[in-house]
Amino acid sequence: MPSKHYRVGVMFSTTGPYSVVARSMLNGALLAFRESVADSSDTTIEPVVVNPGGDLARYAELSQELTASGIRHVVGCYTSSSRKEVIPCFEKHDALLWYPSHYEGFESSNNVIYTGASPNQHVLPLVSHMLANVGPRAFCVGSNYIWAWENNRIFREAMTAQGGQVLAERYAAIGDTELQQVVDAILDARPDFVFNTLIGTSAYAFFRLFRAACRARGIDQAKAIPVASCTLSEPELEEIGENAVDGHLSSSVYFSSLDNPANAAFTSAYHAAFPDGPSTSADAESSYVAVKLLSRALVDAGTDEVAAVKHAVTRQRLKAPQGDVWIDPQTLHAWLTPRIGRSTEKARFDVIVEQPAPVRPDPYLVQSSPRYAVSSRTPNLRVVR
Amino acid sequence: MMAPRLLQNFNGGRALVVVANRSAVEALEMTLAKLGVTAEYPEIVEMRAEIDFATLNPERDILFIDGDLDVAVATEPDEVSRLPLVPVIGLVGVEAPSRLKNLINLGATAFLRKPVHGAAVYTALFLGINQFLLRSDMHGRLEDMERRRRGRRSVVKAIVALMNDAGVDDDEAYDRLRRESMRSRLNLEDYCDKYLSSRAITPSRTAHEQVSSAQRADRK
Repeated sequence: MPSKHYRVGVMFSTTGPYSVVARSMLNGALLAFRESVADSSDTTIEPVVVNPGGDLARYAELSQELTASGIRHVVGCYTSSSRKEVIPCFEKHDALLWYPSHYEGFESSNNVIYTGASPNQHVLPLVSHMLANVGPRAFCVGSNYIWAWENNRIFREAMTAQGGQVLAERYAAIGDTELQQVVDAILDARPDFVFNTLIGTSAYAFFRLFRAACRARGIDQAKAIPVASCTLSEPELEEIGENAVDGHLSSSVYFSSLDNPANAAFTSAYHAAFPDGPSTSADAESSYVAVKLLSRALVDAGTDEVAAVKHAVTRQRLKAPQGDVWIDPQTLHAWLTPRIGRSTEKARFDVIVEQPAPVRPDPYLVQSSPRYAVSSRTPNLRVVR
Repeated sequence: MMAPRLLQNFNGGRALVVVANRSAVEALEMTLAKLGVTAEYPEIVEMRAEIDFATLNPERDILFIDGDLDVAVATEPDEVSRLPLVPVIGLVGVEAPSRLKNLINLGATAFLRKPVHGAAVYTALFLGINQFLLRSDMHGRLEDMERRRRGRRSVVKAIVALMNDAGVDDDEAYDRLRRESMRSRLNLEDYCDKYLSSRAITPSRTAHEQVSSAQRADRK
């Protein structure tokens, strides 16, 4: 008879506009829950799965219900707007949200453990790579919410500081798939590359439309105007479909093609458990890592009290599918290994750049951004006679 | 003229936190550390915060002052501009007008409620420091305007004098003075001042003036 039993909330929008990623996140989390049963004999962890369906109001309601039922830990949220929506509830009830996705930074709630990448681990490495290997002129297209706004600001400042240029920024509502005007504007501007912060179905529609428009004009899109993202993952490549899947760049801490024993074990266990997909992704790995760290911290702390678990989680060092992962005690963000991949026709990524070791999270970019905001407008200086 | 740029990365900053009860600002120190800002707590001796004002640096230091303390900080800013030496952020406990007024008088440009909540700190720093920079910039512009206003008389006199000396109209006289002031790297007001004083000691000026006034007298 196990001596300790904990209930843990799991909250992903497995229906709605970004359900493909969310379902892979749920799978990653569930896989780690199943493994935790084998890991510890005297502690059992029971996942309580809820689905807000992509509706912001439901996120707040479900968080309230979960915490009111005595649950102290919830693994969940994909979009930043949903995370911001639920944080007040977690702070009020002193519960802990385990947030398993890359995000735009400039946040560090004491009631959140962030296992996804911070901006210094996704957008900044991408800027350096694009400037060095592709070109200085970028066109930004994104979903109209905080992730795209703030990520584009960081992108623009980093580009401008290093001599690059952002030609334009265009936004579309989450779920909007009528993006022909944006595609036309890009082809008129002829940038060196597109920086994409569209999410979910909007992103898939954009990739298809853009490839088709380029093809109609005899342009080899992947070579002439590549699209670079910080979100694009393998299940999404499958959604885009075979006519437009290859040649896209993605900055991520995990790709399913990584060649190491921990990833081999993870991907085979994942496929055995969820043969119908969606396939593994950075967000699935991050959710898997979050639950792994949570279950180890629960065992280590011997309680699910938030302060004790927070303390215990900073003592864990996990051999994750992406490499070693651990939580920074000061920011409660994760040390992760940035990489850049290029998508293949088989809806996978070839890793073309890889950091040699995990990189410290810098959510406020205190180590990696200029002191003053960079203005990309023409300077207010004129030649006077 | 360019507006001051926004400061957004506070790394390397130093917070001087004048507070009686540190337990209300635990989250402040923790969040400041995440932002790369170290916290120091000046001692309060005989109702006076021990701060060495000579070493304060507006590029680095931020003063957090507890509005509930009856402590003199001796940074009493200029009464009109209320511009302190470094950015001041008020810590608010009792929300009474008298307490808030003290903080305004100290030049506070942002506020944090006690007990401090971590999620409010970045906003307070961003507003507090950038409002301080804007206010400093505005203060500088006002002082410049004041200086120009005081120099206005010299400019008018210099234009009139040059019109007489060179026989040019007022536009041409102004253009010449402006060009010459730029060439000698002085502002227009100072240059006109200098022009008038150096001109005053030239004896020919008096002679010239006497001649011209004589001519004018002749014509009458």
